[in-house]
Amino acid sequence: MGTAPAQLFPEFIVDTLGLDSVIGEVAASLVAAFVVGNIILAFTGVAGPWAKRKITAAFTDRIAVDRIGPFGLLIIPAAAIQLLAKELIIPEGVDRPSWDIAPIILPSSALLGFSVIPMGQLGPINLHLADPEVGFALVFAFASIASVSLVMAGYASNNKYSLLGGLRAVAQNLAYEIPLIVTAMSVVIFSGTLQMSGVVGAQTETLVTIAGVSIPSWYALVNPFAFVLFLTANMAEIGRNPFDIPEAPTEIVGGYQTEYSSAYFVLFYLGEFVHIFLGGAILAVTFLGGASGPGPESISFIWFVVKIWGFFLFTQWARAALPRVRIDQLIEIGWKGMLVLSFANLVLTAVIVGVIA
Amino acid sequence: MSLERPDRVDDDAVERTPDELEALLGDLVVDRDDHLNAPGFVIRPDTVQETLRTLKEQAGYDHLSVVSAQEYENRYESIYHLKKYDDPTQEVSIVVPADKDDPVSESAEPVFRTADWHEREAYDLIGIEYDDHPDLRRILLPETWQGHPLSMDYDKDRPQIATLPEHANPLEDHHKDAESDTMFLNIGPHHPATHGVLHLKTVLDGEQVADVEPDIGYLHRSEEQMAQSGTYRHQIMPYPDRWDYISAGLLNEWAYARAAEDLADIEVPEYAQVIRTMGAEMCRIAAHMLALATFALDINGDFTATFMYAINDRERVQNLLEDLTGQRLMFNYFRLGGVVWDLPEPREEFFSKTRDFLDQPPESVEEYHNLITSNEVFQMRTIDTGILPPEVAKNYGATGPVARGSGVDYDLRRDDPYGYYDELDWDVVTEDGGDNFSRLLVRMREVEESAKIIEQCVDLLEDWPEDERNIQANVPRTLRPDDDTEIYRAVEGAKGELGIYIRADGTDKPARFKIRSPCFSNLQTLPEMANGEYIPDVIAALGSLDVVLGEVDR
Repeated sequence: MGTAPAQLFPEFIVDTLGLDSVIGEVAASLVAAFVVGNIILAFTGVAGPWAKRKITAAFTDRIAVDRIGPFGLLIIPAAAIQLLAKELIIPEGVDRPSWDIAPIILPSSALLGFSVIPMGQLGPINLHLADPEVGFALVFAFASIASVSLVMAGYASNNKYSLLGGLRAVAQNLAYEIPLIVTAMSVVIFSGTLQMSGVVGAQTETLVTIAGVSIPSWYALVNPFAFVLFLTANMAEIGRNPFDIPEAPTEIVGGYQTEYSSAYFVLFYLGEFVHIFLGGAILAVTFLGGASGPGPESISFIWFVVKIWGFFLFTQWARAALPRVRIDQLIEIGWKGMLVLSFANLVLTAVIVGVIA
Repeated sequence: MSLERPDRVDDDAVERTPDELEALLGDLVVDRDDHLNAPGFVIRPDTVQETLRTLKEQAGYDHLSVVSAQEYENRYESIYHLKKYDDPTQEVSIVVPADKDDPVSESAEPVFRTADWHEREAYDLIGIEYDDHPDLRRILLPETWQGHPLSMDYDKDRPQIATLPEHANPLEDHHKDAESDTMFLNIGPHHPATHGVLHLKTVLDGEQVADVEPDIGYLHRSEEQMAQSGTYRHQIMPYPDRWDYISAGLLNEWAYARAAEDLADIEVPEYAQVIRTMGAEMCRIAAHMLALATFALDINGDFTATFMYAINDRERVQNLLEDLTGQRLMFNYFRLGGVVWDLPEPREEFFSKTRDFLDQPPESVEEYHNLITSNEVFQMRTIDTGILPPEVAKNYGATGPVARGSGVDYDLRRDDPYGYYDELDWDVVTEDGGDNFSRLLVRMREVEESAKIIEQCVDLLEDWPEDERNIQANVPRTLRPDDDTEIYRAVEGAKGELGIYIRADGTDKPARFKIRSPCFSNLQTLPEMANGEYIPDVIAALGSLDVVLGEVDR
């Protein structure tokens, strides 16, 4: 195991402010969660109305938003006002309250996932809320709550397109969650722990030294095959191209979000972006050494940001370049391809680790 | 739906004289009513199927281009314009008069599937009823419409009420058993992938399509009637731009120009023909680029780079068209007997711009092949989906890239030459797959062929002697074609055979102006491609048909 895990964020607040009571600890935890949650929401705010447009525009030879503010950045508050000011249309016959709960579940489940993600250090602060021993299992559990929201939205909307989208979402998540987790298990075999700090710590060891530069043993380098599998399953898990079929605007209009407008629509959109970032965070923690990178430990948060934005960029690239697969093909790839490969990877890893170590 | 195909007779391509045809039809022929383009045989309204079957099976007339209908003072009349896919210059018209008081005529649908929609349109607009028609409902106008707008006693002032009834599930009862259930789904008229206002009544069995029925007419603008109230010389030409408005304007204008010029016996100067050919092929590139772009949108999803790349390429040819015609969309560039003005000055600049554009396509086509056609996911999605067998395509009167994607080697530019096409060196593109991928590939390859044609036209125009640059023939100020002359003429539009039927009555306006829209016939094949496929494949099939609703509904 690498360096000892640093003090967690809530503990840091407790120590710094000297809040040595139960109430103090609870307050500190809430403050810490508030800070982390807002960092992620800020990313989403930048990504949704601005970065996504700019990235897509760069891929498609366009300019995109550049009218308001420097580089069009003020489109972010403008879009926020515009989206929230729209009328919330509640269609006849929707199944309330599940129709109202669904858009809340999606972003919250994705935000919950960040509670166990070690996001690296920023100065003296270690942006890591909790580090339970089963953190690795927990993060996948949180991430998969999202499908519940999609099914609820799809079913409660009283719209056939929504229903189709909801059904597609379930089928897709079932088919890809298992390969995703089985591949993640192969990482656990390497690290020998389910604790997030342990998984990250195991990746700081030097894999090989080339010309004085030591390459860390990131699992993406140790087992690239598992990395590719995980990346693919992750794209399906978060529903991005070529696996964006639960939404598939040209086929089923908007899937589960067809009937949502105004604030609810924003919540869905928000949830999707947080989910992309969570997907990136899981990928970073599992395969890319978490927040580690060259330079001092105290700014490792920057590396974390680079990694999750890198993943975001990757999803946008895939969106600009790749065709969408058909629903039956998606299921086939999931159950007949990915599942088999991920188990093969698991067994192989187990054998290799068992023989070598 | 009937897919059976009669055995083909060997002497398909043999050209028969009108008299031989009359002998073949024997007693079926009541009278002769020749049109400018073809011999016409008048038959009794209860012998339509027998006559058409005889012509189809024994004389090889396997292409029912269009059914045009009209009302006279003393009778109704349906005309079946027949052609051969192997040689569209061999034409014959079957004229079927129907009783003025009780206009009933036998349906041709059992012989030619394509007659289904064409006869529904004739029923809708003129009021002729077709016996033995499987589904004689209105097609362009709402079900509740009162009267038939192109009939003589139509009351224009009568208020019309179009109700919005709840859609019934057309298959529910007989498609359901204890284990299965179907779901009725309205795709459109507002849907991201219907390319306009098209309504698909779809019955789903899970994600699979059990039945799909296109419901059209949302963009019906009485184009035929508007043309009938305009004078030949100038007032009709702006309308064709508005049929297939996806920058195929010049191709459409040519359809009217060709029909009217043949009707009024106008000879177009060669120089103008070269300009027309060049402009028309530019339009074809623009139209195919948009088809490619939107097809990528359907398969890849929104925000695909391919869409913008193709739109960019289309933009460049659009700029050339703007230089040439002064307009970007509604060109109104052709005139009867020529074109409205010569190439823009300075000519050298136009030529060099055009050549710059022509140098680019091979490169960009390469990029599209990289991005889509050689992408394995794309191939997975499009190969062997939305299959249209060649015989079915012919039965439905499919033309253009849709027919050529099914291996039907039919292109009016070569088979029924007009303009300057027969002087130039180019190839007709066909693909044998009959699937979504083939249709896309045909369009992409046609872009390259069009580029070849434009290049040759530019060569010709550059060397054209200055004193022979005649862009316009002498045409009388007012055209009054002879009374009771009829003509059907077609050109190869962006989507297929775009034909015009005109009947002149001695005045300066057409008495009947009928548009044969390739999209109308092509769209009819959608159920054949879509039934049993998944929803995404229906969307892909629709995208690969490349229909423009402005042309379907007219």
